[in-house]
Amino acid sequence: MNSSPLPRLKQGLDDVLAWAVALAMIGAVLLVLWQVLGRYVLDSPSSFTDEAVRYLLVWIGLLGGAQAAGRRLHLAIDLLPERLEPSSRHRLAAFNQTLIGLFALAVLCVGGGSLVSLTFELGQRSAALGVPLGFIYLVLPLSGLLITFYAVLFAWDHLRQARGETSFLAQESVEEAA
Amino acid sequence: MVGLEMAWLEILVLCGSFVALLALGVPVAFAIGMATVLTLLTGMPAEPALVTVAQRMATGLDSFSLLAIPFFVFAGRLMHRGGSARRLVDLAKAVLGPLPGGLAYVNVLACMLFGAISGSAVAAASAIGGVMAPHMEDEGYDRDFSAAVNVSSATTGLIIPPSNILIVYSLAAGGVSIAALFLAGYLPGLLMGLGLMVVAGVSAHRRGYTTEPAVALKELTRRFVYALPSLLLLVVVIGGIVAGLFTATEAAAVAVLYAWILALFDGGLSWRDLRRTATEAAETTAVVLLLVATSMAMSWVLAYASIPQSLAAALLAATESKIAILLIINLVLLAVGTVMDMTPAVLIFTPIFLPVVTALGMDPIHFGIVLVMNLCIGLCTPPVGSVLFVGCGVAGTRIEQVTRPLLPFFFMMIAALLAVTYLPWLSLALPGLFGF
Repeated sequence: MNSSPLPRLKQGLDDVLAWAVALAMIGAVLLVLWQVLGRYVLDSPSSFTDEAVRYLLVWIGLLGGAQAAGRRLHLAIDLLPERLEPSSRHRLAAFNQTLIGLFALAVLCVGGGSLVSLTFELGQRSAALGVPLGFIYLVLPLSGLLITFYAVLFAWDHLRQARGETSFLAQESVEEAA
Repeated sequence: MVGLEMAWLEILVLCGSFVALLALGVPVAFAIGMATVLTLLTGMPAEPALVTVAQRMATGLDSFSLLAIPFFVFAGRLMHRGGSARRLVDLAKAVLGPLPGGLAYVNVLACMLFGAISGSAVAAASAIGGVMAPHMEDEGYDRDFSAAVNVSSATTGLIIPPSNILIVYSLAAGGVSIAALFLAGYLPGLLMGLGLMVVAGVSAHRRGYTTEPAVALKELTRRFVYALPSLLLLVVVIGGIVAGLFTATEAAAVAVLYAWILALFDGGLSWRDLRRTATEAAETTAVVLLLVATSMAMSWVLAYASIPQSLAAALLAATESKIAILLIINLVLLAVGTVMDMTPAVLIFTPIFLPVVTALGMDPIHFGIVLVMNLCIGLCTPPVGSVLFVGCGVAGTRIEQVTRPLLPFFFMMIAALLAVTYLPWLSLALPGLFGF
């Protein structure tokens, strides 16, 4: 087992995210089933489930997107990287991870962060549940921080590998992304 | 004139940065997001540009119908754990095995059924290919040929409902009825499946492949009964949607419950398995959802720069022939499909082409089927063909070797696409019958 703190932190984050997203998925299924049940069996159409699951999906999509970034599941075209020498390939991968980190930092953390404070200032609330919209948008900076963390970690690891050192991240078996 | 100049600069920044980022190997979802930000920065200060892209990403996911996608994937995963791929293969074998080149037909039919149930071509290619590839090799079928059959037929499940990509199209097209799109997919999907079977049969016959022994009626019935629970899912889902009992999302949630109960009966599914299946489904869909989020942002930027309008005007000015415009659109989409994954392609190109074709009197339902069928072909072509990659992976062969046996299948897919493009009733007859 790897004992240095960063890989362990990553592993912990991976696990927490996997749990959170799985629970959100199951929760969304149950809410939609409740909506069907309410309409046909209890004869009292529920008014809040539609909105609740839509916001749940925003959270699933963006947190899941961060989780998938941590497991490097996002599709990429690797025609060019495949043709490079190992050290150049690692340098290119580090560069790409830096771009991802910058994107997450600029758009999700800075842009998303301003959006959160803006909606809190304006006091905007959702139509059915009356939840402040800022709480819903909060997933943007949260997911941004996570993606930035993963990107920095991967970039650093690739730079080490470019210098011929071994990867300090535990070699996970990447399941096929079917 | 000034507006047109502006749009050209934005198109240049958008396409240039997007292609460069993809070539460097930046993941597609992030490349779309970065190209969007860069394009917006040509006409907007940084702060509002960043806030806008962030907001568009969040609101792009804020959709009840989009939720059907993770649910269908979840249900498909649960069905797969319950062994439904194997049962569908067994049934297909009993029906089509005794024909010359039988296993090739079996592969196509099993892909059509499993693809329909899981709503995903990649899932069909890996599940059915995983069962069929070793089996076909034992019977003396060439590996590259089986991979070609599997890869091309896996895409039919995207046209035969329920189909996740048609839900994405409904969203991009501004709420075209999902029930109508699902009904519209049946005939084109069957046409493509039958066409692929013809190609597979002719090739298999020419290669002198064996046939399977005929199966007694009793055995056929037994296999049908075993596959029935999996097939019934399709009846519940599509029947419920078309009868107006559920929305697609509700039907998908019911499908999860159904698949979970099936898996419980089928030798048990622990809470741990359920949690793990939910995680897998969430991971698979998270990849799609992040693509949706950034593609919706890009699509918004395109509209903001009036790019769809300028392109539509340019296209309609070039020719007024409906046949020619549909041909041009199909060629552009075929080219797009070779490098771009299906979800972003649908989200980005629907707003561009839909106004053009509706101006020509084409039904949005018909266009949705043409668009999806066209992009299906791109899933089987290098350099970016997710189904091709997975299909070659499970068959244990290389892309270069599959390309040749895949060629006749490509031609058949293109023939089917042309038929569906120019014969609207293939798509519109069934929805019309149900009053859409």
